[in-house]
Amino acid sequence: MNPFWNGRQNMEKIIEVHGLKKNYGSVQAVKGIDFYVEAGKLFAFLGPNGAGKSTTINIVCTLLTKDAGTIIVDGHEVDKDDGKIREEIGIVFQESVLDPLLTVRENLQTRGSFYPMEKNTLEAAIESAMRTTDILNIANRRFGTLSGGQRRRADIARALVNHPKILFLDEPTTGLDPQTRKNVWKTIEGLQKEHGMTVFLTTHYMEEAAMADYVVVIDDGLIAAKGTPAELKEKYSTDSLQIKPIDADAVRNLLKTNGIAFREASDLLIVDIGRTVDALPILRLLEGNIGSLQVLNGTMDDAFIGITGKEIRE
Amino acid sequence: MIYRLVLRNLRLYFRDRASVFFSLLGVFVMIGLYALFLGNMWVEGYGSALERIGLGEYSATMRFLIDSWIIAGVTAAASITTTMGAFGTMVDDQARHIDKDFKVSPIKRWQLVLGYILSSVIIGWMMSVFTLILGEGYILVYGGQLLSLLGWLKVLGIITLSVFASSALIFLLIAFIKSPNAFGTASTLMGTLIGFFMGVYVAIGNLPPAVQWVVKCFPIAHTGVLLRKVMVGEAAQTVFGTPDVIGAQFLKVFDEEMGVTFNFGSYTVPVWLHLLILVLTALVFFALTTIIISRRKAKD
Repeated sequence: MNPFWNGRQNMEKIIEVHGLKKNYGSVQAVKGIDFYVEAGKLFAFLGPNGAGKSTTINIVCTLLTKDAGTIIVDGHEVDKDDGKIREEIGIVFQESVLDPLLTVRENLQTRGSFYPMEKNTLEAAIESAMRTTDILNIANRRFGTLSGGQRRRADIARALVNHPKILFLDEPTTGLDPQTRKNVWKTIEGLQKEHGMTVFLTTHYMEEAAMADYVVVIDDGLIAAKGTPAELKEKYSTDSLQIKPIDADAVRNLLKTNGIAFREASDLLIVDIGRTVDALPILRLLEGNIGSLQVLNGTMDDAFIGITGKEIRE
Repeated sequence: MIYRLVLRNLRLYFRDRASVFFSLLGVFVMIGLYALFLGNMWVEGYGSALERIGLGEYSATMRFLIDSWIIAGVTAAASITTTMGAFGTMVDDQARHIDKDFKVSPIKRWQLVLGYILSSVIIGWMMSVFTLILGEGYILVYGGQLLSLLGWLKVLGIITLSVFASSALIFLLIAFIKSPNAFGTASTLMGTLIGFFMGVYVAIGNLPPAVQWVVKCFPIAHTGVLLRKVMVGEAAQTVFGTPDVIGAQFLKVFDEEMGVTFNFGSYTVPVWLHLLILVLTALVFFALTTIIISRRKAKD
């Protein structure tokens, strides 16, 4: 059995993907991937552009066909029961899909009418979606006149209008300024933590992936790694000790004679260490010859580079 | 569900002032050309013809007849061009990937298509009636008279039939257009050709016989004929009253030359057949559309 399943069997799997493949002509975009998403969790799909993230999310949310594999979304099979799935999911696309010439409320009324809901229920759902995303104050403004952050909120409100069980977001914060990005992220986290919604998002921002409950790293159409952010950091990144020496040559010699590998970056000597406490014996060894020092924990960035062998491409 | 969708399409169309203007541009161009020179040419031409056959007393009121003729043609043309303009929303939805949001919603594709078609029919109807009202104003300003109540009812009925037929025809055309650029080009082409197909720029009788055949086989050209029958008919009634033999002969020639009647050899197409052609056009093309839509893959 795949070790990935161990210890997590008791959780409710709201999305299950097995052997998913997708080709565009002769290009293999997704080359056979398996993963599952637990109900009520914030699940992040991390990968560089062109890795197959959007393709996968579009297949799971019934927009694209797959070439192979099975996908179950909340008990319904993709391609067989798309109508049922569509009633239970909300999607925020990479680019906005609302009408610029309509007001936010008109947009939500139009898109909300696509779902089997009574008029009163729908109106209430629209109010609640706008409250959740904090856009009640711009309800009567035309979508086209809104700022980037306001638009994104309206996009999210659109996705919430049918009270979905699962919210899909394809790069929800790309192209937003850092402050707005933080706000949008808070809204998304709130949906998951306060409303218990399952959130499935793709991102290429490490700091966002680091805040997810579970991360799947996809690269070149294959799953390169998966785990909680802590697990990934633990497994794929190393901590490091950075020393600014007083006498650089003396320090180099000391390290060399003790068989400690190091690299240099400008005037810093960097030693990779397994755990932060491993720094102590090295510091003792170099005592008296250290100008300043820093012990750094591995980051998701390091883990990502460790996994894919490349820096994230914007 | 469809009500909301239609409301959306109508709002998107009417809030885009430029697109409303451009879908009426063809109408303005035709009326403009006519007011500037085509009109006088016809009025003077037929005026002197009347004098030659000894009916000179009618030449002064000939303008009412000719004005009614042009407005009928322009309204018929508008029922196509404005209906086509209304489909711009559909092309935009594809180009801007807004249709992705429709595809992942539980709304059925036929509901979506019906939404586009109904909106185009409503928009085409409103804009054609607007053109007609504008045209009636033009007729009035140049000394003619407004249509009778019965005339209005007939004309509105014909417009309704025409926008349904146009919508069906154009939907099929648009089904193969993916980009707004291609749509713009197709619209321009349609706007230019329609003036000829409707016999507005050049009277049908003045076209070479082969071209006349093509025009007569173009389904929507029959809208022009029907509108002229009503509008030119009423004007002729006012101008000639009950015409004598020579007057009747003149009107027969006028009708044939100006496309108030369609003749195939010695056969004159009756009103019911014109109506049937429009109804069949609507039915056949809607059926074709349904087949094409149902054959398309649900997903990419």
